[in-house]
Amino acid sequence: MDNREFDVIVIGGGITGAGTARDCAMRGLKVLLVERMDIATGATGRNHGLLHSGARYAVTDMESAEECIRENMILRKIARHCVEETDGFFITLPEDDLGYQATFAAACNAAGIKAEIIDPGLARRIEPSVNPDLIGAVRVPDGAVDPFRLCAANVMDAKLHGAKVLVYSVVTRIMKEGDTVKGIEVLDTRSGQKSEYYAPITVNAGGIWGNAIAEMAGAHINMFPAKGSLLIFEHRVNNVVINRCRKPANADILVPGDTVSVLGTTSTKIPFEECDGVRVTADEVDLLISEGEKLAPALADTRILRAYAGVRPLVATDDDPSGRSISRGIVLLDHESRDGIRGFVSITGGKLMTYRLMGEWTADLVCKKLGVSQACRTAEVPLPGSEPVSMEKEPKKKIFAKAETGRHGGLASRIRHENELQNSLVCECENVTVGEIEYAEDNLDVNNLVDLRRRTRFGMGVCQGELCACRAAGLLKKAHRCSDEAMDDLKAFIEERWKGLYPVNWGAAMRENEYTQWVYSGMCGFGEYDTEPTE
Amino acid sequence: MKFDVVIIGGGLAGLTCGISLQRKGRRCAIVSAGQSALHFSSGYFDFLDRTADGKAVENPLDAVSALPEGHPYRKIGVEDLERYMGEVKPLFAGCGIELKGDWSRNCYRITPVGGVCPSWLCLGEFTPFTTAQAEVGRNVMVVNIPGYMDFNARFVAAGLEKRGAACRIVDVTVDELSGLRANPSEMRSSNIARLMDSGHVAVRFAEAVRMKLSGEDAVVLPAVFGLKDSSVPQKVAEIIGVRTEYVATMTPSVPGIRTQMRLRAAFERLGGTYILGDTVMPSEIRDGRVVCLSTVNFGNEKLYADAFVLAAGSFFSNGLAASRECVTEPVFGLDVHAADDRSKWGDMDFFKRQEYIGFGVKSDADFHAVKDGVSVSNLYVAGSVAGGYNPIAEGSGAGTAIMSAMSVAEHIISKIG
Amino acid sequence: MNENFEQCLKCTVCTVYCPVVPVNTDFPGPKQAGPDGERYRLKAGLFYDDTLKYCLNCKRCEVACPSGILIGDIIQKAKMKYGPQKTKLRDAMLAETDFMGSVATVFAPIANPVLAARPVKAVMDSVLKIDHRRTFPKYSGQKFVTWFRKNMAAGQEKYPKKAVYFHGCYVNYNYPALGKDLVAVMNALGYGISLIDGEKCCGTALIANAMGKRALRQARHNVKAIESASDAGRLPVISTSSTCSFTIRDEYPHVLGVDNGKIRENVSLAVKFIYSLVENGEVKLVFKPGYRSKVAYHAPCHMEKLGWNIFSEELLKMIPGLDLTVLDSNCCGIAGTYGFKKENYEKSQAIGKPLFDQIGKVAPDFIACDCETCKWQLEMSTPYKVKNPVTILAEALDLDATAKANNHQ
Repeated sequence: MDNREFDVIVIGGGITGAGTARDCAMRGLKVLLVERMDIATGATGRNHGLLHSGARYAVTDMESAEECIRENMILRKIARHCVEETDGFFITLPEDDLGYQATFAAACNAAGIKAEIIDPGLARRIEPSVNPDLIGAVRVPDGAVDPFRLCAANVMDAKLHGAKVLVYSVVTRIMKEGDTVKGIEVLDTRSGQKSEYYAPITVNAGGIWGNAIAEMAGAHINMFPAKGSLLIFEHRVNNVVINRCRKPANADILVPGDTVSVLGTTSTKIPFEECDGVRVTADEVDLLISEGEKLAPALADTRILRAYAGVRPLVATDDDPSGRSISRGIVLLDHESRDGIRGFVSITGGKLMTYRLMGEWTADLVCKKLGVSQACRTAEVPLPGSEPVSMEKEPKKKIFAKAETGRHGGLASRIRHENELQNSLVCECENVTVGEIEYAEDNLDVNNLVDLRRRTRFGMGVCQGELCACRAAGLLKKAHRCSDEAMDDLKAFIEERWKGLYPVNWGAAMRENEYTQWVYSGMCGFGEYDTEPTE
Repeated sequence: MKFDVVIIGGGLAGLTCGISLQRKGRRCAIVSAGQSALHFSSGYFDFLDRTADGKAVENPLDAVSALPEGHPYRKIGVEDLERYMGEVKPLFAGCGIELKGDWSRNCYRITPVGGVCPSWLCLGEFTPFTTAQAEVGRNVMVVNIPGYMDFNARFVAAGLEKRGAACRIVDVTVDELSGLRANPSEMRSSNIARLMDSGHVAVRFAEAVRMKLSGEDAVVLPAVFGLKDSSVPQKVAEIIGVRTEYVATMTPSVPGIRTQMRLRAAFERLGGTYILGDTVMPSEIRDGRVVCLSTVNFGNEKLYADAFVLAAGSFFSNGLAASRECVTEPVFGLDVHAADDRSKWGDMDFFKRQEYIGFGVKSDADFHAVKDGVSVSNLYVAGSVAGGYNPIAEGSGAGTAIMSAMSVAEHIISKIG
Repeated sequence: MNENFEQCLKCTVCTVYCPVVPVNTDFPGPKQAGPDGERYRLKAGLFYDDTLKYCLNCKRCEVACPSGILIGDIIQKAKMKYGPQKTKLRDAMLAETDFMGSVATVFAPIANPVLAARPVKAVMDSVLKIDHRRTFPKYSGQKFVTWFRKNMAAGQEKYPKKAVYFHGCYVNYNYPALGKDLVAVMNALGYGISLIDGEKCCGTALIANAMGKRALRQARHNVKAIESASDAGRLPVISTSSTCSFTIRDEYPHVLGVDNGKIRENVSLAVKFIYSLVENGEVKLVFKPGYRSKVAYHAPCHMEKLGWNIFSEELLKMIPGLDLTVLDSNCCGIAGTYGFKKENYEKSQAIGKPLFDQIGKVAPDFIACDCETCKWQLEMSTPYKVKNPVTILAEALDLDATAKANNHQ
C-alpha cells in the first residue's frame, strides 16, 4: 500500500480519536490519525480530570453510570500512571435534601458503584478541607485522571501499533466519489503543504468541531456546543474528590489532580463561532468561587492559578431536531445507514471516562465494514507507561525523579539523567528537568512550548512559566529552527498562559502577573513596544 | 523610636529618598518588608522610553510635556526634573554606584534575549549604546556558561547577527561553576556571582575566556559578575583584553542586587536605620496627619516621625493590594487610581498596555498622599505605589522612582525643615 | 495556611540570601525546599526530600522574601512531619540540652576536660559524628538557677518593679555569668527578677533536629510555666538569648502550633526591654566615666528575623567610650547544633568565613552578640571574645550610680 493509503482515517486527536486510533491499530488496521492542532487541545484537555465513578449519573442515567464504573475500573488497570485513586465524597450540606442521599446511594449500588454512606465526622477526618457543616457523606470510587497523559499514551500506543499521526494538520476537504467518502485533504499548518490521504473508512472524532467535519462530508449532526468553565487552585486543597450530593449543578465538583485542585464546572450553550478561543468570564469566576467554597471553604482564600474553559459536544438525539432531548451517552453514527454516505462514521457524545468504550464501538463498526474479525483488546492491554513502578518513600531520591515517575510511569526510565545538565530543573514549580524535556521532544511529538507543557507539566505550576518559559525556549532544538522562531514561540506561550490568568487577575496572581510583565514586557522588551530596528 | 522621617519601602524610591534626606542631615528609618524589585533590574534605568503611541523617545525631557497631567513628571515640572536628572549620577556615585550615559538623552540596551530597547542610564558594567544598532563588535564571541539556563547565548548571538555582527558561541566554565550545576535548581545568576566574587574564580574564568578567543574583537558575557564587589566585571574585562560587553540575564539580576546592597549600605553609612523583613501594620491618619507607625516586629515600640513616605512599591511588593472586588492601599487605606470594574484591569493581550500596572495611590501636586479626597499633610508617596502612570507601557520605572523620591525629599525639607 | 506558601511568586530572592546554597550543592535551596516542595508534599508525603536537613533554620530567606512567606517554618515543619521518625543518638544528645546540661553540670570538673580531650573528641567524631574540630562549650560547676536561689532570690522583693527572666540552657549550664550580669543590670534599673518555675529548654535544638514531639511537649510546658510566672502575661518576660526569645515568640505558634497568645507580646529580649525603658524616660543609665572599648556587633540570624538587632545597636551606641562597628549581615555558620555535626563542619566554617574575615579587619577588643551559639562559633573561629550586650552594659554601667539615679536603694 502507498503511504497515503490507510485502512481507516481518524479525524481528531482528542481522547476519542486517540482511543479509536489505538483500538483500530491494535486490531491490525493501518491507521491515520489527523489532528488540526496538538493532541488533547479540545475538550479532552479542558475538563476536570475526574475519574468518574459514575455516581454522578446513577440517579438520572443508569446506562452512563454503568459505563462509567466499568471504564473506571479498566482505566485503573490499563492507565495506572494517568490515574490517582483518591476516592470521592458526595456531600450533603444543610441546604440540600438529606433524603436524596439514600436514593443516591441505592442508585449507585444498583449500577455497580460501591457507594458507602459514612459519618460526616469521618468524612471530615479523611478529608479535612471538606465543608465542616456537611450533614451527610457518601464515599464512592472516584479518582483523578490526567487527560493529557491519557491521550498521549493512547497516541503513543497507536503509533507503536503502526499508526501514523499528523498533528497541526487541518482537514480542508473530505473527498467523495458519489456517495462514498474516499479520503481527506489535509493542510499542514506549519509547512503550508496540502496532502491527500485515502481510506475506505473515515472516522469523524472531532468533538464539537466534528459538526463541521460532518458538514464537509455532507452529513448533519444536531450538536450543541456547551461551554464549561473551571478554576485551578495553586495547590492541592483536597486529596479526595468532593461532589455535592444533589442533582448535577454548577461548580459542584472539586478534583485533586497532580499538584493542584480543579473546581468546575459551569455550563452555558454557546454559538459554534465561539468554540475556538472560549474565554472564562468574570461572572463565571465569581459563580465558581461562591459555589466552590460550599464544597471546601478554604477555596475562598486559596490562590487561584488560572481559569479555563472547554466546549462539550452535546448531541441531540436524531429523533428530536429541536435539540431539547440531549443524548447523555455515546453517539455512534453510521452515516451509511443514517444518511446514505458510505465510508464515513461519526463518534461523539460520551465523555472522557468512556473514551475507550467509544473507541471500541467505533473500531467494531469499522472492522465490521472492512470485514475484519479481530476482537477488541484495549480493556486488557495496558497503555505504555502503565507498568507498575515503585513510588515508595525514598528520601534519597530527588523530587524530580519521583515527579517524572508520576508523570510518565514506567516510561520515566527512558528519561536520560546521564549528566548534571539533564538533572537540572527547567520548570522548578513542577520539577521538569532538561532530561525530561529532551525526552519529550525526542519521543512525544512536541512542536512548541505549549505542546511541551501538555507532555510534561512544564509551565503549569505556580509562576505559569515566568521562570521557565525562556529557559525552555532555549532548549527546544527541533521545534525551533532559529532564534526568531524560539522568540515567537516564547511570546505565544506567555500569551497562552495569560489567557488563563487574565480572568483571575487579583491577589497573588496579580502580583505574579505584574512580575511577569516586568520580566517579559519590560526587561525582554517584548510586545507592542518592540522598538527593534527592522532593517 | 523617634526619627525625622520614616519611609515605608526600601527599594529604589525609598532608598533614594532616604539617602537624599540623610545627606541633608535628616534622621531616617526605612522599613522594608523583604527585598525590593531592584533584584529584577535590567541593569539600566529607564526614564521615559516610549511615547503614548509607542515611539522610542530620544530626549526624555522633551517628551515630558506630552504626558498626561497627574503624571509624576508633570507634577515635578521640567525645571526641577532637569535639575534632578543632573544630580542622579553624582548621587549614585556617592553611594559607590557608577552610572553611565548622558542624562539628557536616552540610550539603547541589549535585552537578555538579544533584542534592543531604549533606556536611559546604566550601571557601570553596561554600555549606554547611542544607536539602536547597539554595535558590540564585528566579530563577537558570545560566552555560554554550560548549565546556566537564564542566559541564552544563542538568542543573544542571533540578535547581534541581525544587527550585522559575526558571532561565535563558545562554552566557558570553571570547576567551581560546574560544581554549582550539581544542584538541580541553584545554578542561578546570583549564586554564580557569589562564587565569582571570591576573586580567583573570576580570574580563572576570565583567563579561560581569553584562551578561547580567536581573533574576535569583542566578547559578550552574561552579567553575573560582582554581587558584592563591583570591581569584578572590570577585572574580568581587563583580563579578557578585548572589548567586553555584559548583557543582562533573566532574573535575579546581579547588577540590580549589588545596587540594592550599595544603596542600603550608603544609607546606613549616612546614619540611616534600615529595618528589613518587617511589615508596617495598618495605621491611622488622625486630623490629616500620620503620628506614628507600628510594625509587626517592633510591637509596642512605635516609630514616630515628623514626616512619612510611602514608597512600598506596587502589587508585587504589596504596596498595593487587589482583591476580587477592589484595589486598595493596605497601610493607610489611601485613595487609589483604579478601575472599579475588574474586567477593565487588564487587556486580554498580554503584550498590550495593562491598566493595572498604572494603578496606584492618589497624590496631590506635592506628592502628598490623598485619603478620602483630602491630602495628608505629612505623608508622601514615591515610586510605583503612586498612581497616574504606567511604568511598563511607557518605560519609566526607575526614572519615576528616583525623580519622585528626590522631589519628596525636597518637599519634606522645605516643609518640615 | 499561616506559612503563606501560596504567595510565592518564584522570584528566587530567598535563594540569593541563603547561606547554605553556595557551600552545599546538596541543599535544594529555600525556594525548592520550601514553597516548591510543599506543593508536592501536599500531593504525597513521599515527595519529601532528605536534603532538607541541610537547612540551617537561620530564617534569612524569610527576612528577604518580598511575599512574607515563612519559608524556614515550612521546611522545619516538613522535616518533622515527613522526615525520618527515628532520631540519631548524636542528634538527640545535641538537642537534649537540659538533660545533657544537668548531667554535665554535676560532672563539670570531669566533663570539661573530658569533652576537650583528644581521644574523647576522636570517639565523638568517629562514633557520634560530632566534628572533632569543634570546641564544646564548657559546663559550669554551678547552675545559674542554683546560684540565683541561694544568693539572689530573697532580695528581689525589695525592687519596685518586676520582671521574669527566661535564662535558657546556656546561662543555666554553661555561662551563669551572663545571668548574673542581667540580674545586676535589672536590679540597678529597679527591677526585681524572678525565674520561671520548671523552665525547660525553649526547644530550638529539638526543632532543628526534627524532634517534633519532644519540642511540642516542651513548648506546651514552657508556655504554661511562663503564663503562671508572668501572672498570665502581665509581667514582662525577658531573655538574654535571641534564639530563645525567637523560639518562644514565633516558632511555638508557627512551627509547633502552640498557642502563646497570652504571653507572646510580653516575651522580649533584655536589650529591647531596656531600650524601651530608656527611650520612654522610665529609667536612666549612668555609665562609668573611664569606659573604653572597641566593639564589633554581630547580629545573629534570629535577631535579624526578630528585627531587634537595632535595639542592641542603639543600646551599645548609648555607651560613651564604646566604638561600635556593626558587622555586615552574615550567618556565622553554627546555627545551633548544625555546625557540631561532622557532615556540616566544613560548610559551617565556609558560611561564616566572610564574617570571620571582616572581624579580623575590624580588629575589635571583643565582639558583641546576642546569641550563645554564635559566641561558640566566633570564639572558636576568631581570636576574639564574644560578649552579650547585657554583659557589656553591666561592665560599662556604674551600677550603684544607676541604681541611685533610678531612685531606689
